[in-house]
Amino acid sequence: MTHPQVHFTEEELIAYQLHDSTDEKAIRRHLETCTPCAELSESIAETLRVFSAEPVPEANLEHNWWRLRGSLPVLKPAPRRLRWLDWRWITPTAALALTALLVLDITGVRLHPAVPANDVAIKSQGPLTDTPVDPSSVTTHLDTAERLLTEVNHTTGRLDPTTRESAHTLLLHNAVYIQTARQQGNFAQASVLESLGRVLTTLDHEPEATEEGWHIRLSMNTNGLLFDIRILRQNDHRQ
Amino acid sequence: MGITDKEAIKQVLTGDRDAYRILMDRHFQFVFRVAFRITGNQSDAEDVAQEAFLKAYHKLDTFRQDATFTTWINRIAMNIAINLMERRNRDLTHHASGIAEDSNFARDTRQDTRQVPDHKAGPERLLLDRETITIRQAAMSTLTPMERTAFTLRHMEDFGIPQIADALNIPANSAKQAVFRAVAKLRRALAPLAGGLRG
Repeated sequence: MTHPQVHFTEEELIAYQLHDSTDEKAIRRHLETCTPCAELSESIAETLRVFSAEPVPEANLEHNWWRLRGSLPVLKPAPRRLRWLDWRWITPTAALALTALLVLDITGVRLHPAVPANDVAIKSQGPLTDTPVDPSSVTTHLDTAERLLTEVNHTTGRLDPTTRESAHTLLLHNAVYIQTARQQGNFAQASVLESLGRVLTTLDHEPEATEEGWHIRLSMNTNGLLFDIRILRQNDHRQ
Repeated sequence: MGITDKEAIKQVLTGDRDAYRILMDRHFQFVFRVAFRITGNQSDAEDVAQEAFLKAYHKLDTFRQDATFTTWINRIAMNIAINLMERRNRDLTHHASGIAEDSNFARDTRQDTRQVPDHKAGPERLLLDRETITIRQAAMSTLTPMERTAFTLRHMEDFGIPQIADALNIPANSAKQAVFRAVAKLRRALAPLAGGLRG
């Protein structure tokens, strides 16, 4: 008896083992007859068993409360501010504009002129160190950038100091990754990282009094960039 | 019945800082638990939970009344925990040598365990436990903080993908992909030990 030659992918089997699959019955039936898929599925199950949940210790609530209490100032009700204009309403408009730009780009209209590989000045503060030695770092860098940009996109008013500091640090690291991507001939990645650098520079130089226009520009740039980052990371993963 | 989270928040905002204890009592353990999953140790997890509650206190006036406090504080804690792990990972030299040492240790101990006689069950058990922890740690260190968080929340805390996406403030598909990447990486990290697994 022969079994079907079409196998399930590792991702489908991971989803199956995590009970996130939409096709659980079909996969179960297939695993009964397909040895390679059954082996892969068992290997995934074994991995999950190795990383099964360990007990979590109990935190000492009393100790933590008294440790924290000393740092808590007594708050006073803040005066009500007039918020007649919330910049987040502009997000749908920005998304529409972005879609239009993407359509133009897909249909062949170039939005950015092609730039020779070694003819671009890095406008940020330049690399801090040598080329990163850990190839997974750029993935982490993109993860961090995605999270930061998403957070910024959902923030109103001025950025808090931690976010600004994160943006500053990312900006410095970004310069290194741009250089590495160019040296490796990975121009798609370099281009996205350059766009990221521009947004990070904007965040790093947030004006003292954030006016509406600043948020609109930021939102438009960030939405497109998030899309590019996700595509880039997905491509990297597939490779 | 006690007061609700929202009422406690109102009391804090009107100057009763001890009302914050109500929120701590209800949510600290859960925040600590999630932080422990991400950081992997008690001391860091307590620091993260503390910092999250402190940060939340200072931002309490921006808390949206239509949101739940637990989701909000969790999101803050996760960001702090992930940032902490990323800062640690940036020390690449230390990181790389740690993995190399761990891998060597794992290989050595694996060979040793095959030679340990049955009558030394006690030490063998200890060695196996130690080996398992080392291998787990080495494999986990191959994940990015985001992947580690998504994986531990899904697999160990039984969060759904939408919950993870919401907590990490990322799209559901990104959360799902992060979980898949994590499992695939962990499986590959363990494959040399298991033997005979399909690559």
